[in-house]
Amino acid sequence: MSERFRKGLALVLALALAATMLAAGGCTTKTDEEPGEEPAVDEKVGGTFNFYISEPAFIDPINLQESEGTQVGQSVFDSLVTFDPLTSEVKPAAAESWESNDDATVWTFYLVQGAKFHNGREVTAQDFKYAWERICTPANKSEIAYHLGVVKGYDEMQAETATELEGVKVVDDYTLEVTLNYAFADFEYVVGHPALAPVPAEAVDADPAAFADMPIGNGPFKMAEPWAHDQYIKVVKFDDYYGEEPYIDGVDFKILSDQDAAFLEFQAGNVDFVPIPSGQIQATVDEYGESPDGYTVNPGEQVSLGEELAIYYLLVNNEDETLKDPAVRNAMSLAIDRQDICDKVFEGTRVPATGIVPPGIVGHTPDAFKSSKYDVEAAKAALAEAGYPDGAGFPKISLEYNSGSGHEDILQLVQEDLKAIGIESELVGSEWAQYLDKLGAKDYQVGRLGWIADYPIMDNFLYPLFKTGSTDNYAFYSNADVDAKLDEARMIVDDDERVAQYQEIEKIVGDASAVIPMFYYRHTRVASDRVNEGIYSPNGLFTFESVWLTK
Amino acid sequence: MLKYVFRRILQMIPVFLGVTLILFALRIPGLLPGDPVQLIVGERELTPALRAQIEEEHHLNESVPVQYGYYISGILQGDLGRSLQKNRTVTDILLDKFPNTARLAVSAILVEIIIGLLAGIISAVKQYSFWDVVVTLSTSILVSVPVFWLGMLLQMFFGIKIKQWTGGAFSLPMSGMGSPPDLVHLILPSITLASVSTAYVARIMRSQMLEAMGQDYIRTAMAKGLSERVVVFKHALKNALIPVVTFIGIDLGALMGGAILTESVFSWPGVGREIYLAVMQRDWPVVMGGVVVVVLIVMFVNLLVDISYAVLDPRIRYGGTTE
Repeated sequence: MSERFRKGLALVLALALAATMLAAGGCTTKTDEEPGEEPAVDEKVGGTFNFYISEPAFIDPINLQESEGTQVGQSVFDSLVTFDPLTSEVKPAAAESWESNDDATVWTFYLVQGAKFHNGREVTAQDFKYAWERICTPANKSEIAYHLGVVKGYDEMQAETATELEGVKVVDDYTLEVTLNYAFADFEYVVGHPALAPVPAEAVDADPAAFADMPIGNGPFKMAEPWAHDQYIKVVKFDDYYGEEPYIDGVDFKILSDQDAAFLEFQAGNVDFVPIPSGQIQATVDEYGESPDGYTVNPGEQVSLGEELAIYYLLVNNEDETLKDPAVRNAMSLAIDRQDICDKVFEGTRVPATGIVPPGIVGHTPDAFKSSKYDVEAAKAALAEAGYPDGAGFPKISLEYNSGSGHEDILQLVQEDLKAIGIESELVGSEWAQYLDKLGAKDYQVGRLGWIADYPIMDNFLYPLFKTGSTDNYAFYSNADVDAKLDEARMIVDDDERVAQYQEIEKIVGDASAVIPMFYYRHTRVASDRVNEGIYSPNGLFTFESVWLTK
Repeated sequence: MLKYVFRRILQMIPVFLGVTLILFALRIPGLLPGDPVQLIVGERELTPALRAQIEEEHHLNESVPVQYGYYISGILQGDLGRSLQKNRTVTDILLDKFPNTARLAVSAILVEIIIGLLAGIISAVKQYSFWDVVVTLSTSILVSVPVFWLGMLLQMFFGIKIKQWTGGAFSLPMSGMGSPPDLVHLILPSITLASVSTAYVARIMRSQMLEAMGQDYIRTAMAKGLSERVVVFKHALKNALIPVVTFIGIDLGALMGGAILTESVFSWPGVGREIYLAVMQRDWPVVMGGVVVVVLIVMFVNLLVDISYAVLDPRIRYGGTTE
């Protein structure tokens, strides 16, 4: 090759490169849109949403539990019902309607006719029965079988004395009848859990491993290719979906190492929705604007800071000699400056809790726990009422926590707050498993725990945490009246009446400060400026059904 | 020679057993926090019956030496156990990740060889020139810069800033590896991974070249009237290369074992990142399996380096009896 020719070739290449750069630049120029004007539907259609997740544990419903897998699973699968992303109300999904008998022990679901799996086969009631029994079969090692614990026959399957769920009956192709062990008026919420979606037996049985990496569901999106572990999961719109067609063509779930990597990709414009790394929340809000309701993101209102369906609370051992007096617990609760802790430790990513049931759940009551506020004078008065004026004679108590997760910072501030009303305490950290053992053995005075909703219902916060004998009732609160009311509530079929009953229960446990609510968790996520009408729900799932992308 | 190779392979066995023994010792109850049974159970309710069943399945009810026996026999059969966090076997996971790590390692080595050797030769031949100063200064900086910081700097510049300046026309991918052979995704990670070693290669090359250039035989060659090019490339370079080749060989072994920092910064789905994530999640079968495989690879590459060393350098006599 002669020298001259080489130079000529380089010039041609440079020109070609410049031309492609210009062309590419031309494509990305934004179209100016009149603000406030609703674009036509066809303008909304199309585009691929780039969504950050970390590597999920499972995307097969058989073990759908952590947030990342659930996010993928709920786009590929539809359960019997779904939840309104903002209000958490139950809405029809695979079942178009349902009813229960008078005491909420037998439920009948009527399926949408003609709904199809991604392999083209129609979804029938048998597919639900198969999916649920698959979860309940101990050999399948599902960690989430307990969701179906209320269904008749569950205990027998767990004990391996039965291979079928006795309580699940396929009446015909489109009718599923479920009999429960006990009355449970909120059962309609349980069946909305993404793990309880139908699965096609023929695909699972043919190759369970292949199904785990490329599940075949009945949801609005189908897997485009098998899960590329630690790289990406791609889903595309399912053309035969029975429900409303989504605007976007599909979702690329990008699996990145950590949130910092994700935020970089967001800044580069390669990912549309990411968590904000700590320390950058205010700057991000300033730059991208905050969502007015905390959940709905639109261009210019891109940061979601809404409350999640989760609570951080202090456990008080209700059987402890000193702490069994409600006045003492009220005093402690009143003494804690929650806002101060939120500001100092969490950069505003938590909000002070005023009750055990977080906002975003039907029936949430502001100030449900009367002592869940900062009032030093009232705290001192309550302590005096309990017989310890200015803390005189109050024994030193232990504040226990599981070490290594930042709880020490929180409890140090609690320790100072308690000292201000005359209660001396010491911090005791232990490793998680050991910590749980201590709690279970009642070998503690004050501890801490977090609780995340499995289903967006009040029952999920009150029954496990305050029912006598419940495994999650680590405060060992026991009140026969509350126990009776909790059982009764599960039988109240009327939604408003049931919620009113739960509100009454929350007030009773609140008045006694059975536990000390500390904070509600908040979202800290940001969307790119091409995301319109995106909803990041209180339960931490992004809704791909309604979102559309600016081209 | 064959005898030497055989002996080297035999030596690997106690090293390998020693490493697995140290790793396994970490499982002695109470040494590290975290109850393995609790980890396996996850959210399920842990009944005594379930605990007994899991202990039985994972041989956790046996004494640690017996568990070790099970583990070693598993390894010999290619069974490294099952991840506690993921629904996959460790062998599957590592087989998945190793080609990615190898791809990154090989391209980093190429960067090292090309840039490192060139820079070293130039700065040695043109000692005290402008380019020599550039090379010595930049290599001093590179060896002291933390790899992850350099990686993030490159990401910020080539992934974000350049994209903004060119209106989205040009940028380099910052994470993931695309679908192979996607060379563009390789650029930033391989430069980052190669950075420190490239600097070392350049410095070793420079000093070796200078030493070689000062030798009598070079002066003789010069005096004979050979051109500088012939002297440098034919006589000096050949002898200066031996330590550099050794360094690159050992480095290849290290890189093949996965680069935890680089792979994490660039979300590169390799062995190093997998081990890092497993450590964070206390997924000990993956940690152990990963480290065992890495140890095997490093030992194997070192073996190759030693053998090639013996072949390359006739002065080196192993075993001492071949005089």
